[in-house]
Amino acid sequence: MSKAYFDYAAKRLLQAIVVILLSYVFTFVVVSILPGDPITNVLNNPQNGFTPNEIKEIIAAQGLDKPIPVQLWSAFSGFVTGDLGLSMRTNRPVATLIAEVLPSTLVLASAGLAVALFLAAIIAYGTQFLPRRFGQGLLRGFPSLFLSVPNFVIGLVLIHLFGFQLGVFRVIEPDSFWATLFAAIALGIPISAQIAEVLIANLDHESGQDYAAVARGRGLGQMRLFVTHLLKPSSLPVITVVALTIGELLGGSLITETVFGRNGLGSLVQRSVSTQDLPVLQAVVSLAAVVFVVVNLIADLTYPLLDPRVKLLGGQERRPTTADDSSLPISKAVTR
Amino acid sequence: MNDRTFRLLLSRRRLLTATSALAFAALVATAGVTPALAEDGAHDGGDVVFLIDSLGDTWIPNNSAISSFQGHIWGHVTDKLLYVDADGKVSPWIAERWEQNENATEFTLHLKSGVTFSDGSPLDAAAVVANLDIWYAGRKSEGINPIGLFPKTYDHAEAVDATTVKVFFKKPTLGFIPTLGYHGSILISPKTIASPASSQADLGKTSGSGPYVVESWKEGDYVKLTKRKDYNWGPAAVGQTGPAHLDTITYKLVSEPSLRVAAVQSGQADVAYNASPQELESLKSEGLTVATPRYLGFVNGWAINTKLAPYDDVKVRQALQAGINRQEIIDTVYTPDWKLATSFIQSNVPGASDQSALLAFNPEKAEKLLDEAGWKKGTGGVRVKDGKPLSLTLNSNPYLATSKSIDELIAQQLGKIGWKVDIRAYDVVTFGQKVKYGGAGVPAYEVTRSFIDAGTVASILTNANNGENWFALDESDKTLNDLRDKIAGAGSIEARKPLLDELQKYVLDQGYFIPRTQIVQRIYVQSPKLKGEVYNGVAYASYYTATKSE
Repeated sequence: MSKAYFDYAAKRLLQAIVVILLSYVFTFVVVSILPGDPITNVLNNPQNGFTPNEIKEIIAAQGLDKPIPVQLWSAFSGFVTGDLGLSMRTNRPVATLIAEVLPSTLVLASAGLAVALFLAAIIAYGTQFLPRRFGQGLLRGFPSLFLSVPNFVIGLVLIHLFGFQLGVFRVIEPDSFWATLFAAIALGIPISAQIAEVLIANLDHESGQDYAAVARGRGLGQMRLFVTHLLKPSSLPVITVVALTIGELLGGSLITETVFGRNGLGSLVQRSVSTQDLPVLQAVVSLAAVVFVVVNLIADLTYPLLDPRVKLLGGQERRPTTADDSSLPISKAVTR
Repeated sequence: MNDRTFRLLLSRRRLLTATSALAFAALVATAGVTPALAEDGAHDGGDVVFLIDSLGDTWIPNNSAISSFQGHIWGHVTDKLLYVDADGKVSPWIAERWEQNENATEFTLHLKSGVTFSDGSPLDAAAVVANLDIWYAGRKSEGINPIGLFPKTYDHAEAVDATTVKVFFKKPTLGFIPTLGYHGSILISPKTIASPASSQADLGKTSGSGPYVVESWKEGDYVKLTKRKDYNWGPAAVGQTGPAHLDTITYKLVSEPSLRVAAVQSGQADVAYNASPQELESLKSEGLTVATPRYLGFVNGWAINTKLAPYDDVKVRQALQAGINRQEIIDTVYTPDWKLATSFIQSNVPGASDQSALLAFNPEKAEKLLDEAGWKKGTGGVRVKDGKPLSLTLNSNPYLATSKSIDELIAQQLGKIGWKVDIRAYDVVTFGQKVKYGGAGVPAYEVTRSFIDAGTVASILTNANNGENWFALDESDKTLNDLRDKIAGAGSIEARKPLLDELQKYVLDQGYFIPRTQIVQRIYVQSPKLKGEVYNGVAYASYYTATKSE
């Protein structure tokens, strides 16, 4: 690997760290300027019967009456040393709360991504090789359809049909194999649409290339042509799309987890937002920023390694997205 | 490693294969992973799955005991000194008997012997003193709140011997005894009380003396309780003192209401909490058991801000009282399970009197009162005085799901009389910030609130002794102040009863409080296989006495 590559990697890494730290500060400021906090919200509930003086005393004891910059400095200095603090809502360590729910979300997000990739591949294959009379054109409309149906609607339909009507899974056991599979389908369907669109566009492009015509001329079967010749070059831009859908996987998991009653990162965020649990929100946003930045960093760093057509210029990189002919010259000064 | 080798290792095929394999492995890994939930008929005595819309926030006992959600779990894991039933009747539990001095400033509690917490420590007089102290004061610097409704007149308590506690108050506190059956007054092991807040927040580390113990739990997911086999000190009032019948109770969070109900309909769960009132009749016809217990407390209604015009005029307040058709609210928004308000406190509260005559729907009377107050009908039917319309801003209470529907119906009713009603709906956080008793721009504060003893009511209404000054009267209403002081100083229930009656009549006649309906804040839809549960004074279901048939 060249020096230019390491310079590029170092620069991208530094940018990633800055983005993560800024996301922490941004979240703190946004949530802090909103009225209320979890402690005051509970105390203000008249059912609890606290007097105004008692409320003032408790808030002061928790340090919530201090100026926002003082609170930010205290939280930020803890964050950079790895101390995520205590949840204001539950009084439990934030790290413990996240550790409890993260595995469930990782399983759902991974399974959702697998479903999305599988569906996208099926749709893309169908658009290339299914005879027109068997609905090839219809398949091309699937991505738009998948994008237009919210995943909570898909989730509720799947629960009522497969959970209650057919009894395939029990709603009260959301972590079981079948419940996870159907949650993954609900999460994966909208994401598959974006991947399928990119894949179809690239397959259209690649199947018109000379090498594809030669392969057909040699009598290659449709499946073999798809898997060994067309899928590889068409899939490269999918890496970019997958990296960009990480945010949607995390965001979609919030809704999917709520609908399927899964206790994951999404439902933790939901509870924390509704109660303005600042330490948890900051930790989760920072975690999401880390995941998003790292995944995109990996995609950026692997691109020059995987595709020789991608060239580096003074730490800059260009990666193709859809049907992009990257073999075209992209810079005047090529470093390798 | 040269560039070529590195590229080979990270070839696109391998990357794709690895991604797919990882995702597939993650999916397969969940197969066979079964959460700790009940399985039908797997255990002698049975297992119950209770679907709930939230599991609350912190589990620090003092901070969570009165939560509408966590209260269910505390009711099974802990005991109380006294038992208060759905009619407000007080009976022995951990305290076998009690005495008080003449002016209700000193109380003596005699405890059952042989009671233990699940950590093995005795529930004796010293433990009761530790509980009373933390209910009163909390440990605010650590984030452990006091119990908000515990009498603020508490002075101190002493353990006379292992089973006798003497409790002292700074002023007469007749409400102390019933407060011991309040859902905030749960008895916790002194070891737990002494532990730091972060440890108390771990439900698995908290020890109570109740008929169930926490077997496992996960924040925001579920709490599984298992029967304590040596339990032998239940309240006689529920007809049982020995161990519970059911082996386990699992409280499982399912936030979507339709899924909770559908899970009970399909037999996947036994109880669905907080179903929609509109569904109840059809669920009953399907054979499911529906329970709508009322808690002891205020009815659902408005505390009127008398500092804000035009509600500083008694005739306008009285017109508001007469202009609401309460029967129509029950017929339209609720079912016959809901009851008409007969006072501003629920009719099952001891000391509540029937003031229905003051709450009769009488639009003609309302129109006449408004005419007399100078509010004349203008364009569009809205009454006007000095160029200003007769307006009412309602802030729907986020703690009651049906609040906005009722507001909309009342807006129609009052619109016919000449009121211009604006409805605002806030989330819990914004409501807490913007809507307060007697607040600027808050002519009517919607009340949903339980209490155990009616003696606490009068002190809430004014601002004396840190009262909440519900009607923004400060100390201006001498009649109300006089009644408040007499009720607070009453030494017996008998002496207090006529005073409470007078208070209810006065508050309603003055239009200080406008009742809507008696409140049902906890709705249970239950499998017919589950029977024998008991609802206490704050409408929590206890499955201590319940059985489940297969």
